[in-house]
Parts: sequence; structure tokens; C-alpha cells
Amino acid sequence: MSGENPAPGREVPEELRRALAAEVSLASRMRHVVVGVMGGCAAALIAVLWATEPQPLPTRTQAAFAGLIAIGLAWAVFAGWVLSRRRPLFARDRVLGGRIALAAALVTGVAGTALAAARAGAGVTLGIALVGLCLVIASGTALLRARSRHRELLRLRDALSHEDPRTP
Amino acid sequence: MDGEDRRDGLLVVRCQLGEREAFGELVRVWHDPLRRYVCGMVNSSHLADDLVQEVWVAVLRGLPGLRQPDRFAPWVFTIARRVITDHLRQSYRARETPVEEAGDVVADGDSLGAVLTTMQVEAGLDGLPPLEREVLVLFHLQDLPLTVCAEVLGVPPGTVKSRLYRARRMLRGVLVERGYEA
Repeated sequence: MSGENPAPGREVPEELRRALAAEVSLASRMRHVVVGVMGGCAAALIAVLWATEPQPLPTRTQAAFAGLIAIGLAWAVFAGWVLSRRRPLFARDRVLGGRIALAAALVTGVAGTALAAARAGAGVTLGIALVGLCLVIASGTALLRARSRHRELLRLRDALSHEDPRTP
Repeated sequence: MDGEDRRDGLLVVRCQLGEREAFGELVRVWHDPLRRYVCGMVNSSHLADDLVQEVWVAVLRGLPGLRQPDRFAPWVFTIARRVITDHLRQSYRARETPVEEAGDVVADGDSLGAVLTTMQVEAGLDGLPPLEREVLVLFHLQDLPLTVCAEVLGVPPGTVKSRLYRARRMLRGVLVERGYEA
């Protein structure tokens, strides 16, 4: 472009600097990733407990289970909204978030399957193991895509760095 | 891609990667042009500061999705324009004064454009309607090429030309009225 691109100008106001630092905070993003993943995993494990109960539960207990599952899912949805609208993940954050999600999916899948094996029959255990496997595949795919995007951006950064003589 | 596009592209890619120090650098480089553009459109320093902060928040939230890092300049001015338009729309709604989209009247041979100085443009901006004001700010104060102005404003280059022509004529009227020599 012609002359529109400016040289570094005067100092950015401190208030704006602070607001933008909060806006790009890695800690805030990771908190939301953890909250979302934990909410989803907790909801899944409570659902497994409910599904593998040997005796029919009293209505109030069922309502309590349903409430807990709803709370876990609500946290997951809230975190998803924040991460898509307010605090979108940058490439490195996505890789980190993908690892957290994969680890949580693995733990949830194994724990859920173990719970089912101890409390229910083979059919239910197999079903829960399959659901756990789906969770692991989904989070693994997200991690692979995040790593691929990260590598692509690294390549682009290196190419632009080599072309730019002002870059150290 | 020229040197400045490459510099912006590199900064944007570093931001997209998540290098936190690159965000400060990007803001340092682009804060003044953005503030100048917004100031030219709203005539209030405090309001401009608020709107610029809003623009930066939108920019940082949109950066992971920017597919062409070397097109940062038109992208960022488009966001700024949207923020300003939203603000103006709200204030017009409050005053119940509609903004009319002007027609496409392409005009060539406009000689005033060649002699407009930055000071003249800034001195007369507050006397112009928003559409004419923003095209002058983008073209004369930000030095954006005609095609990039068209991209930012979301209109064909011919419309930008006609708005520029009309804006310069109006600016000349405003300046003459205020005692400047045309």
C-alpha cells in the first residue's frame, strides 16, 4: 500500500494499554477452556452415574442429577460462547486448549467406562466406552487442527521475517 | 507486497500466533492513524478515545479469523468505520435525523484535491456531513489509495470519486465561509 501505513507513533494511553492487555490475556482464555472442559466432563460423569444406577432413583434425586448435569452443560456453553465471541483463542492458545481438552476427554472416557464396568452390564459399558472414544477423537481432531494452523502460521511468520530486512 | 504491508503482515501473523508482545507493537503502530480517523469523524477527543478503544477490542477479537494478514489496513479501517457508523446511527436515532446516502455522480478534473493540505482538511471537517467527512479523512488524512478507500467504505471506486468531488466542493464552501482562501 502507498503511504497509509504509519511509523510507530506516540505512546499508547495507559488506560487503553491495560484494557487491551486484559483483552489478550492468556490466563483468562485458559480459565475459560478449563471451566468449559470441566463443566462438560462433570456433566458426562454425572450422566454415567445416573445411567448406571442399578435401582430406579427417587424423583428428587433424579431432579438433583438433572440439575447438576444442566449446571455442567451451562458452564460448557458459557465457556464456548466466551471463547468464540469475547476471547477467541490464538494459535498457541488453541494448541494448549486442545491438549487440555484431550487430557480431560481421556480421563473422563476412562473414568466413565470404569464406573460403568463396575456398576452396569457389558452393553451399557460398551456404549459409554464408545461415547468416551468419540470425545477423545473429537478433542484429538481439534488438537491436530490447532497444531496444523500453528505450523502454517509459523511458516508464514518465518517467510515474512526473512523477507523483512528490519526484522532482527 | 511492499515493505509496510510486509511489516503489518508479520505483526498480524505474530499476533495470530499468540505472541503477546506483538499486540503492543501492533497497537503502537496503528493507534495514531486510527485515532486520527475517528477524531476526524466525531469531533470530540473523549468520544474518539472511547471509540478507538472499542475499535481495538473488536480488532483483537477478530484477529484470529483474519485470513489475509497483509490486508490489515483496509480491515482495521473497515472495523473503525463500522464502530463509528454504529455510534452515529445511535446519535441520529436520538435526534431523529436520517443520514441520506448520496447518489453516484462521478466527476473528473477536480483540481481542488491537488491543493488541499492536511491543515485545511482538518479545519473544515466538522462542517461536513459524515459521508463526505469520512472519505476526506481516509483519502487525504490517512493517504489511503482510492481502491482501499472503496474497500473500507464498501462502495465502488467511482462512488468514492464522486464523494471526494462533492466533499471537496463542500469543504471549499466551509473554508471560504470561515475566512480561508479557496
